[in-house]
Amino acid sequence: MGDQSMELVQGTLEMLVLKTLALMPLHGYGLALRIEQISDGAFKVNPGSLLPALARMERAGHVKGEWGETENSRRAKFYAITEKGRKALRTEKAAWNRQIAAINKILEA
Amino acid sequence: MNLFRSTRDGMKALRDRKARNAEIDAELESFLSESISDKMRSGMSLKEAERAARVEVGSASVVKHKVWNAGWESHADRLWSDLMYTLRRLSHSRALVLTVVLSIGLGIAANATIFSLVSKFVLQQPPVGDPATMVTVNRTYDHGQCCNNFPVPVVRDVQQQAKSFSGVAGYYETMQTSLGLSGDPHREWGQAVTANFFDVAQMTMAAGRGFAANEESAPVIVLGYNLWQQRFRGDPGIVGKVIDVSGYPYTVAGVAPRGFRGLDQVLNPQFWVPLGKLPELAVNAPPQTSRESQWLRIAARLRPGVSRTEASRELSVIADRLAQQYPKTDKGNGFMVEGIGSMPGRIGTALHLFLLGLSLVALLVLCIACANVANILLAQGAQRQREMAVRLALGSTRGQLMRQMLVESLLLALGGGIVGVLLSVWATYALSSFRLPVPIAMDLSVRVDARVLAYSFGLSFLAGFLCGMVPAWQASRVVVSPALKGEDALSRPGRRFSLRNVLVIVQMTLSLVLLCAAGLFLRSMQHALKIDAGFRSSGMVMMSINPPLQRYTPQSTALLLDNLRERVASLPGVVSATVTDGVPLSMGHRSDSVDVPGMPKPDGANNVELYMVAPDYLTTMGIPLLAGRTVGEENPNAPRVGVVNQEFVRRYFRGANPIGHIVNDGSVSYTIIGVARDIKSRTIGEDQRPVMFRPINQNIASDQWQDGYTVIARYQGDAATLSKAMQDAIRGVDASLAIYNVQTMEEHMHEALFLPRLVNSIFLVFGITGVSLAAIGLYGVMSYMVSHRTKEIGIRMALGARMGQVQGMLLEGGMRLAVISIVVGVPLALAAARLTGALLYGIKPWDVATFTAVPLLLFAVALAACWMPSRRAARVDPMIALRID
Repeated sequence: MGDQSMELVQGTLEMLVLKTLALMPLHGYGLALRIEQISDGAFKVNPGSLLPALARMERAGHVKGEWGETENSRRAKFYAITEKGRKALRTEKAAWNRQIAAINKILEA
Repeated sequence: MNLFRSTRDGMKALRDRKARNAEIDAELESFLSESISDKMRSGMSLKEAERAARVEVGSASVVKHKVWNAGWESHADRLWSDLMYTLRRLSHSRALVLTVVLSIGLGIAANATIFSLVSKFVLQQPPVGDPATMVTVNRTYDHGQCCNNFPVPVVRDVQQQAKSFSGVAGYYETMQTSLGLSGDPHREWGQAVTANFFDVAQMTMAAGRGFAANEESAPVIVLGYNLWQQRFRGDPGIVGKVIDVSGYPYTVAGVAPRGFRGLDQVLNPQFWVPLGKLPELAVNAPPQTSRESQWLRIAARLRPGVSRTEASRELSVIADRLAQQYPKTDKGNGFMVEGIGSMPGRIGTALHLFLLGLSLVALLVLCIACANVANILLAQGAQRQREMAVRLALGSTRGQLMRQMLVESLLLALGGGIVGVLLSVWATYALSSFRLPVPIAMDLSVRVDARVLAYSFGLSFLAGFLCGMVPAWQASRVVVSPALKGEDALSRPGRRFSLRNVLVIVQMTLSLVLLCAAGLFLRSMQHALKIDAGFRSSGMVMMSINPPLQRYTPQSTALLLDNLRERVASLPGVVSATVTDGVPLSMGHRSDSVDVPGMPKPDGANNVELYMVAPDYLTTMGIPLLAGRTVGEENPNAPRVGVVNQEFVRRYFRGANPIGHIVNDGSVSYTIIGVARDIKSRTIGEDQRPVMFRPINQNIASDQWQDGYTVIARYQGDAATLSKAMQDAIRGVDASLAIYNVQTMEEHMHEALFLPRLVNSIFLVFGITGVSLAAIGLYGVMSYMVSHRTKEIGIRMALGARMGQVQGMLLEGGMRLAVISIVVGVPLALAAARLTGALLYGIKPWDVATFTAVPLLLFAVALAACWMPSRRAARVDPMIALRID
């Protein structure tokens, strides 16, 4: 599974995090795991990029972090998407779709 | 919102660094443990899972660092630690901080003080509404010559014809009254204005209102804010009260806003009355209908959307029309539009040039200070090469090193700015105590305002940045490997003059220029003090009154003055007493062109200074009578007589005996009865002017003087006692008379030297500052050179060089810089001195004494600055020197 993982496309991490959090609040590791699962193991997110991204997004007000307990009853910081985060996700998604469409057009030309 | 949160969280993180770090740690920890338990669930052993998870997470401190970097606070944090590091470092080198802060401080103080003058006289605007659309209009003559005032009819023409303005007001700049609530009158200066003046100015009055349209000649008055505060103790119910203005009842209409002192920034009028009331209040008020008497100034408000250029274009059309309509009086005249608050024409230009000159000099001082600071920082940077090299080797970037050094110099600059501003607060206080010897109320006070503060700190940061840039750049260019070994990493072989040497030469050259100027002014001051004013200035007390302001007629004024003179003359301690309409050295009294029938007209200007005097004038003033008789108790109705001075005889009679000759001043004739010695009339430095003294009682009726009369007593004993007795005597005759300008002749003479004293003090302070800075700089360079060449000196001495030889070698190096500076500086100073010619009394700009003494002085200072370090070098013990490193 790990062998097939690849690098994230530059600048998409925040979008993926927002999308994942839009489904339900998660803590750091849960988030990394979920992204890995949903992408069928294609994307592996390590904490070295995930945690700074979360700090940035929290500062920007896109997510909100709160300390809580995991299913293994450990303390962890749970992140939830905010209204502002949803809006940011919509614009980023639209921009991403436009980019993909353009890239596809070029590739299929 | 976003910015707010970001700021708030950032501040929180900075404030509680530990908590933030603990939070990141905890989050990382939970990530790790979740990962481990997940891996154990999929079948790994605890140990395997732990290892795998750690590999995945990587270095915890790197993650932490990255998370920290996500917010702005990391930058602030780094800057903060730079700042702290710098403060720690600076606290170890107090001498350095002191020198640098003082250097920049002196430079900034010079600039702040001069700029406070600029701020006051050039930038500050009176508190009128929307100053940008308000203008003053000046009259030009002879096709563009500046500037005259306007006759009333021309003001009316502009009011009716000009479409560019929404309002045009006329005002008479200086009038005086004796003003009081009931009794206790004081002489005050004010202005007479058209009724729309305050509407055109769109002023927010401090109390009450301006004048209404129908109050063109109503007995109403607007008080100045200061007058209201001082004379009426800020009485809130002043509006509507009736006060005594030169014996007439006037109703107070309002109080002008704080800081309003008319439309220019020099005069200090403290009341305003309607123009129509001027004939009642002022002696010799110019006629309101004449197109010839030019006495009003114009202030106007531009219509919205009309530019100053458009207004001047329209006015020049009006000027052409007026010239055709009234060719006799208006031909060649024009209009010149200027912003308010600026001084018109020639005075304005002269003032601007003067201030520009001073600003340049102040910047010169700052340049010297900066060169000094850069030099010190360079020397210090050289000592820190090893530290820099170590930090570079440990992975600091050059940018980081530069940032840290810039922080350091900006910090020093801030300190310098604070010192400079404090110094200039004191200096402006001292400056404000200078007074002009004129009998008009002027406000010449300057102070450090917000503009000056901004300028000072802006300048000090610029200075700090420039000073810091050079050493920072140099230090970051350190060549690492030799520096680590303790060798000079900056030395580039084959260079004869280092940057530091050039800086010292620049410094000394500039100081030489400043010192030469200071020397010139000092010598000129000496000369000015020695100039013979023509009268004996010691032992005289004088004070002024203005009887016409209390409804005295010319006849009763003459009687009053006679009475006063006799009373004062009989006071104990008085040797003699007299009365005159103008004290010499007041920057100009009355003058007129005269002609002497039967004698050829003299070459050039033939204006004669005219003074009215009472009996005993020459004796009291101590002016020797050279021929004929002096003015005595003349018969008012007899043919008029006059006493002239030697210059008059030289110009008009070419040395022939003038006594008995007739002098015509317009329609009035005088017979010359005596010749007095020359006196200086307007200023102490002037070339002799022709003067004529005329009896008061023969001329007062036809030639009433509006600015009052001065009683002068020559005394023996105590001036203060006499001054009080004189005032009592005047009050004993008429208590309603306001007494003003009470002073001794010596005080008056002191004020008469206003400009030379001011310029002299400025240059002296600047020059001494400059040369001290240069000496410090040279000393620094020499010390550095010595410490640098210790090894070389050791070798030389080991090989047999004697102490004297070593010292001589080092001295020669230092003195070479001094000699270069003198060779470059003297011609520069000579060129600069040519500009000061107009301000010098009795010496030439190429004064030999100055240009010999100053270079010698500089040479001596340089020698002293080099001597100490070279001496230290000569004492080097070769055994120790060779063992260094």
